[in-house]
Amino acid sequence: MHARAQAAREVPLDQYQPEYLTAAEYAFIMAATDRIIPEDGEGPGALETRVPVFIDRQLAGDFGTAADLYMEGPFTPTADPFLGTQTPLTPAEIYRGGIAAFDAWCAQTHNASFADLDAETQDAAITALSEGDVPLGPELREFWSLLLQNTREGYFSDPQYGGNAGMASWVYIGFPGARGSFFEWVGRPEAYPLGPVNIAGERA
Amino acid sequence: MKTFLRLILVLAVIGVVALIAFIFIPVQRTPAQTALAADYTVPEGQGEYTMRLADCAACHTADDGVPFAGGRPIESPLGTIYSSNITPDPETGIGNYTLADFRAALVDGLRRDGTHLYPAMPYENYRMLSEEDIRALYAYFHDQLEPVSNPTPETELSFPFNQRWALRGWNWLALGDPGFTSTLSDAELARGEYLVTGPGHCGACHTPRSPIMTQAALTGADDAFLSGGEIAGWTAPALRGANSAIRGWSAADIRLIFATGRNAHSAVNGEMQLVIRDSTQFFSDEDLDAIAGYLVHLNSGEQAPAEPTETATEQLLASADPSMDLGPRLYLDNCGACHFVNGRGADEVFPELDGSSLVTANSPTGLISMILHGGELPSTAERPERLRMPGFAHRLSDDEVATLASFLRQGWTNDAGPVSAADVSALRDEPATN
Repeated sequence: MHARAQAAREVPLDQYQPEYLTAAEYAFIMAATDRIIPEDGEGPGALETRVPVFIDRQLAGDFGTAADLYMEGPFTPTADPFLGTQTPLTPAEIYRGGIAAFDAWCAQTHNASFADLDAETQDAAITALSEGDVPLGPELREFWSLLLQNTREGYFSDPQYGGNAGMASWVYIGFPGARGSFFEWVGRPEAYPLGPVNIAGERA
Repeated sequence: MKTFLRLILVLAVIGVVALIAFIFIPVQRTPAQTALAADYTVPEGQGEYTMRLADCAACHTADDGVPFAGGRPIESPLGTIYSSNITPDPETGIGNYTLADFRAALVDGLRRDGTHLYPAMPYENYRMLSEEDIRALYAYFHDQLEPVSNPTPETELSFPFNQRWALRGWNWLALGDPGFTSTLSDAELARGEYLVTGPGHCGACHTPRSPIMTQAALTGADDAFLSGGEIAGWTAPALRGANSAIRGWSAADIRLIFATGRNAHSAVNGEMQLVIRDSTQFFSDEDLDAIAGYLVHLNSGEQAPAEPTETATEQLLASADPSMDLGPRLYLDNCGACHFVNGRGADEVFPELDGSSLVTANSPTGLISMILHGGELPSTAERPERLRMPGFAHRLSDDEVATLASFLRQGWTNDAGPVSAADVSALRDEPATN
C-alpha cells in the first residue's frame, strides 16, 4: 500500500492512470475539484494536493464498493432526505451515474461537457448542482454532497490515501499531523513551530 | 629409557581407565535433603502452585502446544535444545519416573536412564528446592496432570557439545550444595531469598555466566548473583549493584511488576513478559511480598537515583525547535506522545525511558527490537489490559532507528553507547519475541 502510494504520488496528475474512473470521468473530477478548492485561493488547491487521485482510489476500494454499508434494501430513493441514504447504488455507481447526468445537463445547458467549460461557467454549473437545480434523479441525489465531502477528505486526509500531497493542506492550516506530541504547548500563546509528520513518518 | 616408556604406558592406562570410568560409572544421585514423614501428603493445590513458582511452562510448553508436552526450541549459544515432555505419558513423558528419578532430574540434571540433561534445565538453581517443593512438583506432573503423547524432537548439538557425558565434569564446577540454607535471620527475607534463588531460578538469566557457561554465583551472598546477564541477545538487567535496574524501587513497585508486569517506572519486556504471564502473577501476596522484600534488601546499600530534574534533553524537546537534530526530532515524531519530553512516560502505562535498563543496556538488541517490532504486556488478573507498543519498522529506516536509539541512549540522564544502522539491519527481519 505504501509503495503504491509513493508511486502514485510520483506520477504527474495528468498522466495518472485511474483505477476506477474512465478518462472522461477523471477529466470531470480534475475540473470539479479544481473549482471546489481552486489553486488561486490562500492555500494550496485540490490539484496541487492530488485530490483526484484520492477520489479515484477511494472509488476503486471499499468505500466505492460500499463494502461497509448496509446494501440489502429495501431501497426507497424518494424517501425524505432526513432519513439518510436510500439509494441502491454504491458510491462508485453514484459517481458514474452522477457525472454522466451532470455532463449531459452541461451539454444541454452550456453546449459542452463540464471539463470543457470556462471557469466562470463551471462555477455557475456547480452552483446549480449544489442547489439541487440539476435534475439527477433520486438514486443520484447524494452525488454533490459526496463529491464535496470526498474533495475535503482528499485535501486533509493522510497522504497514504493519495491526496494531501506533501502534507500541503496541513502545513497551510498549521496542523502538526500524526505527531500527537505537543502536550507542553497547550495554552502557550505562540504558534507551534514544527511542521507536520504523516502516518508513514515523513516530515514536511 | 625403558623405565620412562613404562611410566608413560602406566599413565596412559590409568588415563583410559579413568576416562572409561568417567563416562560409564553411573553418577550418584543426590538423596532427599529432608526426611519427610512416611504419611506426608502434598497439600491441596501445592503442586500447581509450585509449578508456578518454578515456571516450568516457560520451557516445557511450546508455542500453541499442549501445556508441559515439551518440544519448545530453546536457543542456546551451543545450538537449539528442545524441551522434554513432562506430562505423565509413559512413552514420551515422565510417566515411568519414580520420585527418586524425578528428584534426580531436578537437582542433579539426570534423566531416568542416567544420562545428563543439558543445563538449559536450570538444575543449578532447582538443586536448592526444598523436599516439600520437589514432592509438590512430582505430585503435579506425575499424578495430577493428564498424560499427553508427544514425542519431542531430539536435541542435536554439534560435536563436542553432543557428548552429554562430559557434563559430569561441568557439573563438578557448576553445582553448589544441594538444598537451601538462608544466611538471613528474618523469616520473610529468607523465604524471598529461597524463592528467588531456588524455584524462581532468577539467576539463570539475571546472573552472568562464566566462560564455561556456569552461573557465576548461585546465592545472594555473592555479589555476582543477579548482577545482570543475557537471554536470547536481550539483556537481563542487573538487579543489584550500582547499575541495578531496580535501584530505588520500593517493595510495592517490585510487587507490582511481578503481579502485573508494569509499575511507575517500567514495563517488562522480552522473555520477562512470559515470566509474568506464566509464573509470577500467580504467586501469593505473601510470596510476592517476600520476594519484593528480598530484592529491596539486595539493593539496600545502593543510592536511589536522584530525583528527576529538568534536563537539557527535556528543554530541547519541549522547545520543538525546527533546527534540532534528527534524533530528538524522530523522538518527537514517533515516541513523545506516550513517553513525553521528560522521558518519564506515565505510571503503569508508558514506561520511563530515562534510566531504563532496556534503553541503556550494554547490548542495544532489546531496544532496537522494541523500536522495530514493539512489545506487549501480559494480561494478568490484577491488570488484564494487554497494553501494546506498536512497532515502527514500517515507519523508520535502519539509519533512523539507529539515530533514534542513539539519542535515547544519550538522552536525559542516560549515558550509553551509540547504535549503528548495521545493528538495526541485523534485527529488522527478526520476528518479534512476543
